[in-house]
Amino acid sequence: MFSLDYRDSKPIYEQIKDRFRTLIISGVIEEGERMPSVRSLASSLSVNPNTIQRAYRELEQEGYLLSIPGKGSIATHSKEADQHRKEELFREIRKNIRELRNLSVTEDELLQLLKEDETVHD
Amino acid sequence: MIKAKGVTKFLDGTKVLDDVNIQVEDGSVYGLLGPNGAGKTTLLQCLSGVLEPEQGYILYDGEPVYENPPVKEKISFMPDELYCSWQENIRDLKELYQALYPSFSEKRFRSMGEIFAFSEKKRIRSFSKGQKRQLAFWLKLSAMPQYLLLDEPLDGLDPVMRRQISSILMDDVARRGMSIVISSHNLRELEDLCDHVGILNGRSLVLEKSLEELQGNLVKLQVVFPEGASLGSGLDILHISRIGRVYTIIFRGTAEEAQKKLSPFHPIVMDCLPLNLEEIFIYELEEKGYAVKELF
Repeated sequence: MFSLDYRDSKPIYEQIKDRFRTLIISGVIEEGERMPSVRSLASSLSVNPNTIQRAYRELEQEGYLLSIPGKGSIATHSKEADQHRKEELFREIRKNIRELRNLSVTEDELLQLLKEDETVHD
Repeated sequence: MIKAKGVTKFLDGTKVLDDVNIQVEDGSVYGLLGPNGAGKTTLLQCLSGVLEPEQGYILYDGEPVYENPPVKEKISFMPDELYCSWQENIRDLKELYQALYPSFSEKRFRSMGEIFAFSEKKRIRSFSKGQKRQLAFWLKLSAMPQYLLLDEPLDGLDPVMRRQISSILMDDVARRGMSIVISSHNLRELEDLCDHVGILNGRSLVLEKSLEELQGNLVKLQVVFPEGASLGSGLDILHISRIGRVYTIIFRGTAEEAQKKLSPFHPIVMDCLPLNLEEIFIYELEEKGYAVKELF
């Protein structure tokens, strides 16, 4: 499904969380789809099952997973989760904007960036 | 469950382990870290029942391990330096393992055999260091142990074989609830495999925690302060370094706590970064006085 980036200094459970969150938000993993079992992921990624359990647990808290006793986990896509993620991403953008301003990047240049991104996705 | 309590061991009159306590739950992978000469190998030898500690005890599900065959049947120990009579071939060794371990699985032996593709009649003498390591994993994992003790096990294996073996190890942990105690200096690799970590330093255990606790216990901030700001003391900083105006600060505590502490200094930039196991190891030991010295 995906492999881990061994040069990424992020902790493994964060990497697993990030990947699944992206896959769910982008719709690659559809709402209601069953997530791979902890056991199969542990052996395919060579990662401790408890670490995968932890990533799943935190994704559930964020609202991207629903664990059903005896059936494993399925992907969900709640409004609250999206809202939460939006806020998180906005915080990151703000930080970058601050740094860009320090580099004397103008508002027009930033708006230009937004427009370019739009045309890429149209 | 493995429980070691108050383990003290002398070798040639020198105290090598001093009052070491560790606990390994079923289905848990316990990473044993520590600088060279800290006693990791001796502790593993005690855990495996090869050595008897002078003080303290080691119990597997309440049963002592030393000179106790029924307990030893459940344990596979992979020492740092492998030994066997190199005159033998794989079939001879397999027969030995079948005799020692009632749980030995022919099915597992055959399925793992496809990975390694050794001829059973090949003499072990002709094997390379890495091949001997592969053979040891083949036999020890075919014994289907409940407890696996590994002393720097992945040394000498090529990257593909490392992944292959790690994958089998994690499958056994997830499927059968096997417990592993593993020592290694490859912290990047240990971070994948472990859920608990113990750090030995100077004969005793200086830290024992779950990986989750460890990661939530230290936080790294990259901060830029306004011109002329001074941090002062009383912040309980574990480590601080500076490149230009960017400070890298390691705090004990959570990200929120650390940010709260620094906000009175009105930082211009403040990034919170998670620490990997290697950094945790270095900073925890630095606090205990074991650090990289500047020689030149």
